[in-house]
Amino acid sequence: MRLIQQHALHKIGISKEEALEALQVVRQECAGDAAKTAGGSDSTRKCTALELLEEEHAQGFIITFCSALDNILGGGVQLTKITEICGAPGVGKTQLCMQLAVDVQIPECFGGVAGEAVFIDTEGSFMVDRAADIATACVQHCQLIAEAHQEEDHLKALETFSLESILSHIYYFRCRDYIELLAQVYLLPDFLSEHSKVRLVVIDGIAFPFRHDFEDLSLRTRLLNGLAQQLIIIANDHKSAVVLTNQMTTRFGQNQSMLVPALGESWGHAATVRLIFHWDNTQSLRASEMCSLHLSPKMQKVLK
Amino acid sequence: MVVLRAGLCPGLTEEMIQLLRANNIRTVVDFVSSDLEDVAQNCSVSYKVLVAVRRVLLAQFSAFPTNGADLYEELKSSTAILPTGSPSLDQLLDAGLYTGEVTELAGAPGSGKTQVCLSIAANVSLGLRQHVVFLDSTGGFTASRLYQMLQARVEDREEQMEALQRVQVVRVFDIYEMLRALHEVRDCLSQQVESSAGLLKAVLIDSVSAVLSPLLGGRQSEGLAIMMQLARELKTLAKEFSVAVLVTNQVTRDNSTSALKSALGRSWSFVPSTRVLLQGRAAPWEEGTAHTACLAKSPRQVGSGYGKGRCGCGAVGCRVSLPRGTHCNGRVADVCY
Repeated sequence: MRLIQQHALHKIGISKEEALEALQVVRQECAGDAAKTAGGSDSTRKCTALELLEEEHAQGFIITFCSALDNILGGGVQLTKITEICGAPGVGKTQLCMQLAVDVQIPECFGGVAGEAVFIDTEGSFMVDRAADIATACVQHCQLIAEAHQEEDHLKALETFSLESILSHIYYFRCRDYIELLAQVYLLPDFLSEHSKVRLVVIDGIAFPFRHDFEDLSLRTRLLNGLAQQLIIIANDHKSAVVLTNQMTTRFGQNQSMLVPALGESWGHAATVRLIFHWDNTQSLRASEMCSLHLSPKMQKVLK
Repeated sequence: MVVLRAGLCPGLTEEMIQLLRANNIRTVVDFVSSDLEDVAQNCSVSYKVLVAVRRVLLAQFSAFPTNGADLYEELKSSTAILPTGSPSLDQLLDAGLYTGEVTELAGAPGSGKTQVCLSIAANVSLGLRQHVVFLDSTGGFTASRLYQMLQARVEDREEQMEALQRVQVVRVFDIYEMLRALHEVRDCLSQQVESSAGLLKAVLIDSVSAVLSPLLGGRQSEGLAIMMQLARELKTLAKEFSVAVLVTNQVTRDNSTSALKSALGRSWSFVPSTRVLLQGRAAPWEEGTAHTACLAKSPRQVGSGYGKGRCGCGAVGCRVSLPRGTHCNGRVADVCY
């Protein structure tokens, strides 16, 4: 179908323009059939930058309740993009993921996106009681706002926004090795089409299954790249944010060593936004967290 | 591979086709490369007729040599140079992006490849008022960033909106979708060629390695075949329709020298005519936001290195100012955008 040779055209007796038109009609019909069967995922992928701008303005952010972090992210975690959180052990990556899983459910009248969350855990670090604490604090915060402003829709939203509803809308999956993780991610589109309110997919510990027991490094690169593309498709088609956490590894330079995110150079291209957390010189535990935006399409400043 | 049929040229009748086919001569190539005396004897066809048919077939199907002067004239009239919006990058690329060629931009994560692509799109769409097609395979295209760049260049809101409308974004996350999108662009262009002067001037692809790297490596060789098919599509698009094609690529670390080099291997290195390597800051929390661009391969720049354009440190007239081990020609520019 793709190759139109001159002699074939002469044989059929039509001109090149007519052949191109015929191809377009066939292509549209095929796309129409595919749309009926697959849910029309690729028919809306072509648009002008102006339309995209309007879409972006209308999209919300998932706020993190830390204003410095929200500032450098440009308002919060963006939907339809992949955000990667890297940091040394103990810096707070899983906590941030749990916070985001609760924050995505904040009703729209309070400034949230009113969505549900999928939490894929590979390290077993998800603590339900900690998530319950975060959820309770969030509900209390919203109640304070509602009391201060006293509006109708605030009070109505608060009726459905409770601890039980928050915890019941976090879909938790536990994957023990890389095969389970890959299977889960590749099966996720089906799950998301059934639960269309999901707006956040968290994969806590994407480095862990791939770092040990992997002898064939080129296979690892291929699997990771395929995984990255699948995650981008999920983020785009279902208008949800994908958040990944990554570990740090040491790279030896000529006379120094640095902490860099794990999984190699090619994985660095998977995420659109990369947050790197590290401690600064003072020993105080949470008080001074420096966070710099390593890759961002929008902001290139380092914020302290 | 054109199959012989009746009516391909005068003198080639159906009867003659059957006789030739009985002697295993099916295509034009078979016919032209066979010994006509033998064919005349075996097929009992007249030798003169065969010679006449061969002359016509050669005239129809072979390539014509042109001389350099005609080629130069054609190049002068059909090639355009698109400025990228950054004067130092333009200088590195010998005045800008050339239409009819494939240019590659490689860099580590965070080195600024998507930013440069957005800047080029803004420049072409606003400054030159031409259409741009942006194929996004990483999800990194942010329309608000493009809008910011346009706002920095011009104040009038109407012009900004028009410039945004001239940039068409297609999201392709798979190699087959990318090939299909390129086919659609090609069809669109060939339909337009008669009507308008061809408003599309630049096709930016960010990035090519995101869709190709899941297929390469391992024991299957289809990945390499698909990569070459994509390369052929890009080159045909650039050459036939006089558009500038810019692709972005990842970098990998060379095992022996631990230097950064472009991904996708040696087979891909022959595809773009110009390759630029971008380098950003070493560590994210260091001060300074200058990015450097280094020309790794170029058909035009002086001192492009002997041979394959690898580290031409020994070549005459080549200034080396980067640390040992990087693949470059010593031409470095500071890029600000």
